[in-house]
Amino acid sequence: MKELQDLARKLLSEGTVKVVIGYEEGPRGARAAFITDPEKADKLIFDTRCVQNLASYLNPRRKQIALLGKPAIVVKGCDARSVAGLLRENQITRDSVVIIAMQCSGVLENPGIESDVELTSENVSVRCGGCDVCEPKLFDHYIKSAHPTVPPVNPKRAEQLAALEKMTPAERWDFWSKELSRCIRCHACREACPMCFCVQCTADKGTPLWIDSSSTPRANRAWQTMRVLHQAGRCVDCMECERACPEHIPLGLLTRYVANSVEKRFDYKAVDDPSVVAPMSVYRPDDDEEFIR
Amino acid sequence: MTQRFLSQAELTALVAELVAAKTRVIAPVRAQDNPEQLDYMPIQKLEEATFGAQVPRRSLKEFFLPATEVLLRYVQTKEGVEIKAAPTEAPPFVIFSATPCDASGLDVVDKVMNWDYKDELWFGRREAATIVSFLCAAMDAVCFCTAVGLGPDSFRGSDVLLVPVEGGYLAHIITPKGEALLKGKGKEEIPASAKAAAEVAQSAAREKVEANLAKIPAEFAGWLAKNFDHPLWKTLSLRCHGCGACASICPTCHCFDIVDEHDSSNEGVRRRNWDSCQTSKFTLHASGHNPRGSQNERFRQRIQHKFSIYPAKFGDILCTGCGRCARACPGGMDLPTIVGELMAMAKAEPEGGSNL
Amino acid sequence: MNIYQPYLMSIKEITDETVDTRTFRLEFKDPEVAEKFTFNAGQFGEYSVFGEGESTFCIASPSTRKGYIECSFKASGKVTRALRRLSVGDTLGFRGPYGNNFPLDNVMKGHNMLFIAGGIGLAPVRSVIWTCLDQRDQFKDVTIVYGARSVGDLVYKRELEEWGKRSDINLCLSVDPGGETPDWKGKIARIPTAVEESGVKAEDTFAVICGPPIMIKFTLPVLTKLGFPADHIYTTLENRMKCGLGKCGRCNIGPTYVCKDGPVFTAAQIRALPQEF
Repeated sequence: MKELQDLARKLLSEGTVKVVIGYEEGPRGARAAFITDPEKADKLIFDTRCVQNLASYLNPRRKQIALLGKPAIVVKGCDARSVAGLLRENQITRDSVVIIAMQCSGVLENPGIESDVELTSENVSVRCGGCDVCEPKLFDHYIKSAHPTVPPVNPKRAEQLAALEKMTPAERWDFWSKELSRCIRCHACREACPMCFCVQCTADKGTPLWIDSSSTPRANRAWQTMRVLHQAGRCVDCMECERACPEHIPLGLLTRYVANSVEKRFDYKAVDDPSVVAPMSVYRPDDDEEFIR
Repeated sequence: MTQRFLSQAELTALVAELVAAKTRVIAPVRAQDNPEQLDYMPIQKLEEATFGAQVPRRSLKEFFLPATEVLLRYVQTKEGVEIKAAPTEAPPFVIFSATPCDASGLDVVDKVMNWDYKDELWFGRREAATIVSFLCAAMDAVCFCTAVGLGPDSFRGSDVLLVPVEGGYLAHIITPKGEALLKGKGKEEIPASAKAAAEVAQSAAREKVEANLAKIPAEFAGWLAKNFDHPLWKTLSLRCHGCGACASICPTCHCFDIVDEHDSSNEGVRRRNWDSCQTSKFTLHASGHNPRGSQNERFRQRIQHKFSIYPAKFGDILCTGCGRCARACPGGMDLPTIVGELMAMAKAEPEGGSNL
Repeated sequence: MNIYQPYLMSIKEITDETVDTRTFRLEFKDPEVAEKFTFNAGQFGEYSVFGEGESTFCIASPSTRKGYIECSFKASGKVTRALRRLSVGDTLGFRGPYGNNFPLDNVMKGHNMLFIAGGIGLAPVRSVIWTCLDQRDQFKDVTIVYGARSVGDLVYKRELEEWGKRSDINLCLSVDPGGETPDWKGKIARIPTAVEESGVKAEDTFAVICGPPIMIKFTLPVLTKLGFPADHIYTTLENRMKCGLGKCGRCNIGPTYVCKDGPVFTAAQIRALPQEF
């Protein structure tokens, strides 16, 4: 952490950046920090409670943050993939942000106030198992961990995905219809997601009206299906959507399932290299498929 | 106001009676996806419920102001349009072991729902409901009900408040509905030891939650209004996503949207849906102008509405101190801490300052 | 009947004021309602196209006329575009009257009146103007300063003509420089200038002003210069609304609810509002 704090202090006092977006100690645990004063750089922390993907704060539509000036952002490998996504899709330019990548050994599924919680296969986040970006490649500064370890694997996710894959399409429809019946169309999932940066979301359009805004089974399914398909190939599995959902719908499971489908069909994962093109968001005039030419 | 003594068996029998009479009974039960959490759900037997434990994840609000409800149905005919307004009478239902913060929240929201125009949809459900609250002793570090003028044994919004004592429950009967619910049930004679034990339990609960946040002084509402343009609003909500999760689980957030939806080419409904001042398009004009164009203004509105505007208009803080918003927020916004910091500022600079 | 249930209205007459502004004359389908309905100038309602939604407009007709109400609108969003697709005889919904009103009866009567409007801003002011003209002997001098970007943008043209012919109204029409037509006989100036040059005196006069925010921004200093105290200048505010009756939590500016404490405010009241509108 000292290395991170020293770096932040340096970047701020030299004027390289105007704000360091990282994590700090909050009253209930780790929370996002916006450090503008080099004297406050020692508030920055990084531990297994640092679950949140901070990349959503780079969204240029967040005016109050953009006003602070050029940011440096603390990212784990998974978060770096979101930054890569924003770069890939021209939402930000590479020189508009300083990326401080942290070597990560996994995070907790339900972080609390305690800071020295060791990760076990029961308390580790379901998305950490099998992580291949513990050492992120997209960075301006890379900070190694004092004691890097491979994150334990939480078996819950594999179980859930296996259960879903065993289902027939009709059973999967019933499963998601039941889960999505709780959706209240608050769109917290969208607001928390780093890749949901559209100025006007299709779900907010009135003319024409694509999806009813009310919480009805039909509209809820339409909304989530649309969002998840818009995320296909772009979602980095940060699970901010699930963390934000006030109805505790397993949205991360839905996005993971679709991401797996994309991997299977297109041999593509959202990676932290912005130069690797994503299959869903790129069009070539000589595409193999005739319908899109 | 009277008191009764009820045994566990009598309470169980009461629920069984209600269920047999086809009255919907709602109580906190262990959540299916996370047994450490509680949800208010319909029950068939008292044993299904978990009493007096932590506050359920979502508030009672959804039983009185659903996330979506039909206001009217319309049919286009050759002669014009026929409309059928939604019924305003609801079948009776009983809520068991509501937390006092949730019950009080209903009482607080009654005020705006009755402001000049009586919202019969809200009050239809309020009139149909009998609410039995339970002394809250399971508050955590986030709760702050006493700070907003309520408490773990508040009577507001409740028809009966149950306090666990040896051998059963001391029931404070607060309203005629409560009286009707417990008519002929339990004993009118309450052992002095039970009364004393209840008082001890109630004041211990109050003390416990009072330690979390000091009572918000009456002048706070005015200080907030005076400091509408204070620079503090520019940095207070940087981490807020504007997701509105806080508003959806809040017992007192009641803001809504009204939309029309087609069911077919000539039939449809007009609905009222939950909405939140935290969302980016809440105040967006058709012209493209947005008076609350950034999260700074939107979060300011949240604080101002709850802690300044509503108290000035209706005499109540639009908050029950249940702490759900702080627990639910994915961005780490912590309302009790924020209110505590603002109160400290108000104390240090009672006339308002220009420095953060 | 719940408070969100609208009256059913029948479109009696459609007038195209300009290329994009249309006026509806609406009659209540229920004769009992038609008989009993009253409102005060300045109040607004929620007009709906069933299946599309509701939209907020002022009532543009005078409170002195019974049995019908009028509204004028521009097609700018989902509901207003749907309103434009309606024809004479079609049914729409109306909830209202909501909000406060111009205090014609208890404050303005017996005094001089100055009406200032720009573009479609004449709609709410027209309600007050006609209510005033229907009781003309209760008011002293009446001055109307109305303008728009161009001749084509002037609304209620037939009535402008009528007012121009009356000797008991000092009417000043103007269009912005560049907006005149070859046969334009009115003034060529922006509203602030037109007001300044109208010869109106501030003494014993109440001003009612409505129009685009920029027009109001530059006209208020003129009125101040002419000697109008801030509490003698009345305007209407618009804000995004849904319920219109103080419950949906959307239209407030600080502690002031535009649907309940407004939409009519004095310049003095507006100055005291938090600047969030």
